[in-house]
Amino acid sequence: MLKNTPYEKEIVTIIFYTSGFFIVMAIVLVLFFYFSRKKITQKEIEKKDLEIQYQKELLSAVIITQEEERKRIAQDLHDDISSKLNIVALNSHLLTRPNLTDSEVLEITRNIIDLTSKALDNARKIAHGLLPPVLDKFGLHAGLQELCLEFSSLKDVEVHYNCNSNFSLLDNDRHLHVFRILQELMNNSVRHGKATTISILFEDINGFTNCTYTDNGVGFEIESSESKKGLGLKNIESRITFLKGTMVIQSAVNKGISVVFNF
Amino acid sequence: MDDFIIYSGYLLLLVNLILYSYSFFIKKKGISFYVVFLVFSFLLQMISEVLFLLKMNNLVLFNFFFIGQMVLLGLFYNKLMQTIRQKTFIICSIILGLMVLSVNFFLEPSQFFKFNLFQIALTSLLVVVFAMMHLYNILAGEKEFYYVTIGMIIYLLGSTVLFFVGNLTIGLSTEFKFFTWTLNAILVVLNQLFVLFEWKNSFYKKAVQTKLC
Repeated sequence: MLKNTPYEKEIVTIIFYTSGFFIVMAIVLVLFFYFSRKKITQKEIEKKDLEIQYQKELLSAVIITQEEERKRIAQDLHDDISSKLNIVALNSHLLTRPNLTDSEVLEITRNIIDLTSKALDNARKIAHGLLPPVLDKFGLHAGLQELCLEFSSLKDVEVHYNCNSNFSLLDNDRHLHVFRILQELMNNSVRHGKATTISILFEDINGFTNCTYTDNGVGFEIESSESKKGLGLKNIESRITFLKGTMVIQSAVNKGISVVFNF
Repeated sequence: MDDFIIYSGYLLLLVNLILYSYSFFIKKKGISFYVVFLVFSFLLQMISEVLFLLKMNNLVLFNFFFIGQMVLLGLFYNKLMQTIRQKTFIICSIILGLMVLSVNFFLEPSQFFKFNLFQIALTSLLVVVFAMMHLYNILAGEKEFYYVTIGMIIYLLGSTVLFFVGNLTIGLSTEFKFFTWTLNAILVVLNQLFVLFEWKNSFYKKAVQTKLC
């Protein structure tokens, strides 16, 4: 009995240490899972918050753009049409005056005809700016051709347009987004980038239509906060989201801009 | 068969030592304390092997190894920690652990020549806690030293229990005496394989990528 005592003591110590070790280990593991869960939940909340923030920014960009567009249309209507129709109304009143000579009547009538045709012309231009009829009737390809022609004739910029894809008229709703994206990019290139050459290329890659847009303008620093805040870029981003496509923008100061997106 | 496992463990340790030293000194990648830990492990393994061959008691070295492992791995994880609080926790734990162990050895110097269960439990637990803290830190980020940590936790959980029964196995017949050590050798090989895999994952690919650049 006495002989066994140290041996038994040894076994008891081992049992004590082993159980103690596993109890502490279990506590460590439980703590680890508790804190990990907390951390993961926190990360997910942060991610969702970011997503919500992004959606909010997109939404506000959409609302601001809508308001700006309304303002522009209102201004166009006021400047180009209302003012002319006002003068037409004034001239029409003049016609009702008695004792007008034939030459006066002729003069006033000519004025009226002249102004109404100008107003008509402007109304057509405004309507065209809002939604080019060509795009609606003949599809994206024709719409873009017209847009490029317009830019190269009016804005003193060389536009190379190359299309290796077929655009179906059935997809016109989606193509309107593409048209708007390119319109925005070209406007930016001319207005901010002071570009003199723009090139647009469409090709089919892996079942997607890929569009490569480049210009030789002054470019911008992509990481700068100014460019991130830009309404135009946000607008483009939200359209790409609608198209379920992806977009890569590359640019640097004085290096022009290159935008590749697919849809 | 037993010898084969033990020596393949040594060989893997040597390979890892060379690979990690290469990455650290030539490519300037990795953490110094880990390389020191590998050197330390290898040296102690070799010395204890020599002592074993000379039929001398190598348990002093074994106790020394556990303390060194705690300090070096503690410093290694200390480098990996992200907040001051975590770093302070690790440093304080190491200092406190060393103080408690000094008192323990001072009170019972005989513990130096056998398996000191208290020391094994304390040092292993601290390393596992540090490793867990590191796993927590890399939950949502880059998996830095992930496999090393996993390997270390598996190894420590297994081997600690084997060492607990160490004093008991000394009294067993030669037939069963080395059974626990074979198990331990398997765990060592497993741990070293994790370390090797970590090197392949974290350092080898990067080395190739740098070349491509």
